[in-house]
Amino acid sequence: MDNLTAADPTPITADASEFAPALESGQVTLSALTKRYGNRVDDPIAVDSVDLDIRAGEFVTLLGPSGCGKTSTLRMIAGFETPTSGHVTVDGTDMVSVPPNKRPMSMVFQSYALFPHLSVRQNVAYGLRLKKTSEKRLREEVDTALTIMNLMPYAERAPHQLSGGQQQRVALARALVMRPKVLLFDEPLSNLDAKLRVQMRNEIRRLQKRLGITSIFVTHDQDEAMTLSDRIVVMNQGRIEQIDVPEQVYRHPSSIFVADFIGRANFLDATLLVDPVDGRARAFALGLEREVATHPDVSLEGEVLLMVRPESVILTPNPAADSVHGEVGRVLSAIFHGESVEYEVETDTGSIVALVSDPAANEIFEPMDTVSVGIKADRGWLLPVHAES
Amino acid sequence: MAIPLIDAPVPDSVRATAPKLKRNGKSAKDPAVVILTTIVCAILLLIIGFPLYGLLTSAFAPKGLEVLARMVTDPVNHRIIANTLLLGLIVGTTGTLVGFLFAYAQVKVKFRGKRALHLLAMIPIVAPPFAVATAVITLFGRNGAITNGIFGWQADIYGLPGLTIVLSLSFFPVAYMNIRGMLESLDPSLDEAAAGLGASKLRVFFTVTIPMLVPGLAGSFLLLFVESIADLANPLVLGGDYTVLASRAYLAVTGEFNMQAGAAYSLTLMLPALLVFLVQRYWVSRKSVVSITGKPAGATEQISAPSIRIPVLVIVGFLAALIVSIYATVLAGGFLKVPGVNNELTLAHYQFVLAGLGSKAMVDTTILALIAAPIAGLLGMLIGWLVVRKLKRASGLIDFIGMLGLAIPGTVLGIGYLITYNKPVNIFGLQVFPALAGGSAILAGAVAIVMVYIARSLPSGQRAAVSALQQIHPAIEEASTSLGADSATTFRKVTLPLIQSALLTGLTFAFARSMTTLSPIVFLTTPGIKIMTSQILAEVDSGRFGNAFAYCTVLIGIVLLVILLLNVIIRKVVFRGQSHRR
Repeated sequence: MDNLTAADPTPITADASEFAPALESGQVTLSALTKRYGNRVDDPIAVDSVDLDIRAGEFVTLLGPSGCGKTSTLRMIAGFETPTSGHVTVDGTDMVSVPPNKRPMSMVFQSYALFPHLSVRQNVAYGLRLKKTSEKRLREEVDTALTIMNLMPYAERAPHQLSGGQQQRVALARALVMRPKVLLFDEPLSNLDAKLRVQMRNEIRRLQKRLGITSIFVTHDQDEAMTLSDRIVVMNQGRIEQIDVPEQVYRHPSSIFVADFIGRANFLDATLLVDPVDGRARAFALGLEREVATHPDVSLEGEVLLMVRPESVILTPNPAADSVHGEVGRVLSAIFHGESVEYEVETDTGSIVALVSDPAANEIFEPMDTVSVGIKADRGWLLPVHAES
Repeated sequence: MAIPLIDAPVPDSVRATAPKLKRNGKSAKDPAVVILTTIVCAILLLIIGFPLYGLLTSAFAPKGLEVLARMVTDPVNHRIIANTLLLGLIVGTTGTLVGFLFAYAQVKVKFRGKRALHLLAMIPIVAPPFAVATAVITLFGRNGAITNGIFGWQADIYGLPGLTIVLSLSFFPVAYMNIRGMLESLDPSLDEAAAGLGASKLRVFFTVTIPMLVPGLAGSFLLLFVESIADLANPLVLGGDYTVLASRAYLAVTGEFNMQAGAAYSLTLMLPALLVFLVQRYWVSRKSVVSITGKPAGATEQISAPSIRIPVLVIVGFLAALIVSIYATVLAGGFLKVPGVNNELTLAHYQFVLAGLGSKAMVDTTILALIAAPIAGLLGMLIGWLVVRKLKRASGLIDFIGMLGLAIPGTVLGIGYLITYNKPVNIFGLQVFPALAGGSAILAGAVAIVMVYIARSLPSGQRAAVSALQQIHPAIEEASTSLGADSATTFRKVTLPLIQSALLTGLTFAFARSMTTLSPIVFLTTPGIKIMTSQILAEVDSGRFGNAFAYCTVLIGIVLLVILLLNVIIRKVVFRGQSHRR
């Protein structure tokens, strides 16, 4: 790239309400959506009977590791892949028989996919021109889109003369100008550098909130999913593991897979003492009997694990294995991250990762230090070992 | 005139970041794709399928079977088959060697005049098949200007020696371009790594460079093998007693009027050609270890060590001088009364070609080639696009059939056309279209000639389109779809502009190949349509070398002129204001 790659100083600011769709339009439903590549029954299933209701104006993220079926799902919604079975409907209309170019959706691609032989303006105008829009109207619409995305100064440039962030903005303008009912994003930020990625995702979120366009966003980056979404759909091996708001997905993951994939997690051996009532129960873990929130599948019959996020672990000096501080451990390693320090602590229950944010200089432990290990109140989550999503 | 042969350059901005990403579920229900596929299949059936079918039925008719049986029993036929294969082996080897030397000198050896050497290596592509043969006879034949005029020999170059020289010099550019491309994309850090491990330059050459090139060398050998066993022009002019299958088939059809025998000989010729093509396509290409990343592989170190440089440059220099003298003879020969014998200056030959009786051939050929080239070029782009992007199971088959025009010897194709299209084509008793080839055909057989031009020149554009498309990220076309364009619109407004270099390559080759092709044409010319290459054959046959040289020069001139115009038109007009070059 050229010298324009540096962080973009021009956020998306102009009034964007122009492109807001009619209220309550853009409701997407997936029912038993299945994709099997190849024709034989034993061919691997990419997407396995996915059901999903997306409200009009909602921002939903499909999150999962590569090969989990999130991109295949998005491409079936867009029409680039034909489902093996199942349905995609938008506002009640079945889309499966509608060719991709006739669907009321626009897609923003990972590689931006700008037309390299057309200028920025021509790129944005491309779709409207196909709709036989009058020249005057076309010019107005394109100007509005370019203004919203702060691209007016670059309108006559060729795509390769823009920085990555600007290219992605052109891609977004090109999609918005079509006034789609649904915006589809296929990992659109993964080609940007870290700072720009954060900036662009904030802008996308702001713009989407203002316009209220239903958006489906595919990513493997949990940070992106957390910050952008109204709801996150976590996928694994073609199936949906969990659908919930970001906080629930993070704090109360439905399975060990989700807990492990989103953020980092300690899984501690635990013993359930009584059957849960209203999603809470008493359990013995990390040297203490404590009350914890529990997964609905938890019962006295099965084995359980206590999930604790590293930032919920409390380390205290002056070891005193008492009823408050739980177990005693030994610091194995301490890694200074800047805003936090990451410790690995060995205890009788096993090795635990702790993340202590913004510690004072004299409060940082050294390897071989002895500490007592506790958990912040109400941060544990009791999971069945064999959790079914 | 430099002609891009293999890879049309694609701007970095559209390069696929993950070209190996194979989209399995291409959306199939697009009516435009169905229609385009049907059209392409129909055209392929007409220009390749039916003629092949006609040839096969004829070869397996009783009279043809008789000839086929004699292929196994008759020692004369054994001799012909052996001659053909021997010629292919020798020319395959020498041509590859010459191509390798030129490529090696071009990429690896330090010397001045690289561009001139490159252009020199390209000339044979635009030259008609007789130019080299006729010039070689004039220079080195019994009364040759050099052999007899300077050294006083009565050299006999008719037969295998002459054919080897002429075919090697005519076909080596294919090997040159192939091997040059590979040499250029060899990562020099491999050489450095080997040298860093203590290998000498010579050891690096034999243990690193050559093994990496083996697929390229093998591929070139096989291509040259096919080209030389399929060649008809040179065996007719220079063969003497050395009969090969192509010239035998020609004799059967035009001398003995035995179509079935011609078909049988052709079939025998087609088998090794097709076999070699299959080996090249499915085996050699898979062995390739050179990865074309599209990134410049860094500056290649130029060899200046005399132990390698001097022998390479001496041989290449000698060959270059030979080529120069041959084409100089072609150029000058047109102005001499009887070239090499009576060297008085005259304009009579050019007058004959440009304004006299011979001018009809010039006009007819150019018009037909101008009709065929855009059809072949666009068809190539379309097939490439369908194969790479749109079709799943059928893509391999369509790609293969499209490439057959290159794999099937021209003689075979010509005889197939003559058999199939010399009478009206009937399907279920209904006349679908009238006779296209032969004396009674509509438009004096021009339709068949255009069809055979398309069949012969389709593959180069198709190859260029396939390799250009494989480098363009599929998301660019999906973006167009997502914005409301159907497949046909996407192809026209996005794909075609992005592969314009490939289109230019396709058009250029289609025109050059149409203008210079002979072997299928000799069977299809009629009194009403005159084709330059077959006129040249007639002139050479009757010893009027001056006319032949004038024809050759004019033909080369037309090809170069049209290529130049094509470059200008495509770059300036068709995609005006859409240039995406940095």
